[in-house]
Amino acid sequence: MITRLALAALLRRRARTALTIAGVAVAAAMLLDMVMLGSGMRESFRGFIDQQGFQLRLTPRGTMPFDSEATVGGAAALVSALRADPDVARVGPVLGGKHFIATDSGMVAGFLLGIDPAAQGDYQLEEGRDLASADEMVVSAAWLAATGRRLGDTVRVAGGYDPQLRRTTGERLVRVVGRGRFQMLAATDRAAAVPLAIAQAMGGADRADRVSVLLVETRAGADAEALARRIELGEPRLTALSTEAALKFVDERLGYFRQLAFILASVSLAVGFLLVTTLVTVSVNERIGEIAVMRAIGVARARIVAQIVLEGVALSVTGATLGLGLGLVTARWLNGILATFPGLPAAFDFFRFEPIAAVRALGLLVVCGIAAGIWPAWRAATLPIATTLREEAVA
Amino acid sequence: MRPSPHTILAGCLIGALVLPVLRPAALPAQASRPAAPAHRTIAIDERLAEATGLAVGDTVRLAAVAGATGELARIAAITRRGADPSEVARNEYKVRLHLDHLQALTGSGDRVGRFAVRSRIDGTADPADAPDRLADAINQVAFGFRAYPARAVAVETSSTFRVVNRFHRAIGVITIVASAIFLLCITLLKVDERRRDVGALRLIGCSRATVLRAIVLEATLVALAGSLLGAVLGWGASSIVNWYYQGVYQTPLRFTLVTPGIVAFAVGLSLVLGVVSGLVAGRRLVRTAPLTLVGR
Repeated sequence: MITRLALAALLRRRARTALTIAGVAVAAAMLLDMVMLGSGMRESFRGFIDQQGFQLRLTPRGTMPFDSEATVGGAAALVSALRADPDVARVGPVLGGKHFIATDSGMVAGFLLGIDPAAQGDYQLEEGRDLASADEMVVSAAWLAATGRRLGDTVRVAGGYDPQLRRTTGERLVRVVGRGRFQMLAATDRAAAVPLAIAQAMGGADRADRVSVLLVETRAGADAEALARRIELGEPRLTALSTEAALKFVDERLGYFRQLAFILASVSLAVGFLLVTTLVTVSVNERIGEIAVMRAIGVARARIVAQIVLEGVALSVTGATLGLGLGLVTARWLNGILATFPGLPAAFDFFRFEPIAAVRALGLLVVCGIAAGIWPAWRAATLPIATTLREEAVA
Repeated sequence: MRPSPHTILAGCLIGALVLPVLRPAALPAQASRPAAPAHRTIAIDERLAEATGLAVGDTVRLAAVAGATGELARIAAITRRGADPSEVARNEYKVRLHLDHLQALTGSGDRVGRFAVRSRIDGTADPADAPDRLADAINQVAFGFRAYPARAVAVETSSTFRVVNRFHRAIGVITIVASAIFLLCITLLKVDERRRDVGALRLIGCSRATVLRAIVLEATLVALAGSLLGAVLGWGASSIVNWYYQGVYQTPLRFTLVTPGIVAFAVGLSLVLGVVSGLVAGRRLVRTAPLTLVGR
C-alpha cells in the first residue's frame, strides 16, 4: 500500500520526477567518477609495484627511483651484503641510462636498463625470449618501431653520443631477443634492457660497478619497514623506499587530483541531496490536504512518514542505478583524456572501478535521499489535521 | 659562439648535487664569518631553506655524488620559484651555482647543458618573429646542437598542463549538464507551485503569451541573479584555491583565473538555461486548462 502510494505520487508529475532522477543520475555519475579518481591512481600505482614483486627500492640517498641521474657505487659489494641478510629473498640491481642506435634517418636515442635477468621487475616479456647471455637485449615495441629492427637482429648500441663530434662511445654489438612491456615507462618510450654488466661497461669508467636502484624482495613474514630502517642505518648512501613510502610519494605528487575528487564528490552529494529534498518538499506541500485526509481517516503518522521517505529512496536508488552506468562511461572518457599525460605508463589508470568503493559511494547517495525525505515527511505527518483540512477547503 | 653586442648568452649546466652537511653549526668558520675562507657562493631555493633551516651566510658542504667529500660553499642568496607550470608538482630542491663552479664540482669540464639566448628585437620588421628567425639562423650553422624559440620550449614543457586543461574542460561539461538539469528541475517546480496563481490570471483574462512572458522573465531574472552570485562565489573560490595551492606548491603561479570572458560565458550560459527552462515549464502550464490549474 505504502509503496503503491509513493509510486503514484511520483508518477503523478512524470516530467519533474524524470528530471529529478536525471539530476540525481548525473550527480551519482560524478560522485562515482570522483571516488574512482580518488583511489584509482593510488591503486593503479600499487598494482605496478606489486606486479614487480619487490617490497623495497634502494636509491642513492635522498632521491626517488630514476627521478635523477644519481647512481651509487660499489654495487657488487652492496648486492652481496644484501643477499646475506636473512630477511632478503632476492636483490635486483638496476642501472638506468641512455643508449643510441644509428638508423638510416639518424641517431635514435632511448632509455637503457641494465638488469639482472634472474631478478628483474621492470618489464614483462610479450614476444621472443628473455635475456640468456651477455650480448642480448629485450626492447619495447616503440623501440622496434623507431629503429625499424626486428627480433633476432644484431644491432650496434652505443652508451654515449657526442653530437658535436658525431661520435658514439661505449659501443656493443647485441642481439634483440625479446619484446617486452616496460611497466613503468610510457608506451611511446624507446626502452631496452641488457644485462647489468653490459650497461655498466657501455657507460665507461663513470658507470663501472654503479647502480641506479636496487630492488629488494623480502622473505615471507619479514617486516619490510624494519628492514628498510636497518639498511639505511647500515648504508648511509642509500634511501630505502618501501611500497607504502612510494605510495605516499605518489599521493604527494598527485595530491591535486585527490583534492579535486574530494571537492567534486562533496558537491555531487550536496546536489543530489538538494534535488531530492526540493522535489519531496514541493510534492508534500502540494499534497498537504491529501495527507491531512489520510491522517483524519486513521492512517498512522509512521506510515505517512514511511511513504514520503520511500519517495526519496525511490528517486535516489533509480538515479544512483542510472548514475552507475553513466559514471562508468564518463570515467572512461575522462581516463582517456588523462592517459595522454606525457611519460605516463600505458597501463596506468586514473579511474579504477572498485566495486566496494562504488557501492559505498552510491549507498551514501541513497542515504542522502532517505535523509532528504525525513524532514518534509515529519512536517507533513505532524500537521494539525482540522486546521489543514479547513485551510485546504477554503483554498 | 661568442657573445655579440646584440646577443646575451647564458650558459646553464644542470646536475644532481648532494648537500651532506646541512647544519652550519659544526663548522668553525661560522663563529667568525668575516674571517671565513673565501668559499664559492651559491643560491638555494626558498623550499630548501625552509626545510633545512638554512639562511644566507651559512656554509654547507656540496658534493656531486652521495658519500663524496665535496667542498664547502657559502649561501649568498635564497631564491623564490618562478611561475613555471612545469616545476609545480616537482618537490625537488634547487641549488644554483656559478657555471664554472658546477662544472668543476661535477667534473663536466667546459660543457654546458644549454644556452639561453636573448634576441635583439629593436629595428626588426616583426619583433614577434625575431626568436624564430634567430633560431633558424643558428640551426643553419649549428653543429651538434639545436636552437629552439622560447615559445616552442614553453609549448613542449606545458604539455602536462594542456592535458589538465582538457580534463578540467571535460569536468566543466559534466557540471554544465548537471546545472542545466538542476535549473530546469527547480524552474519546473517553482512554476508548478504557482498553478493556482497562473489559473487565476488566465481566468481574469490574461493571455497565454502574457503569462508565458511573465514566467520566462521571472526565470531569466532568477538565472541572472544566481549567475551573478555564482560569479562572486567563483571569484572567492578562485582566491581560496590560489591561496591554498600557492602555499602547498610554494609558487607564485596562479592556478585559477576568473576573467571577464569566463564571467560573461557563465552569465550568458545561465541566462540561456534560465530562458529555456522558463519556456519549457511555462509552456506546459499555459497549455493546461485554467480550471484544471485552480483545481476544479
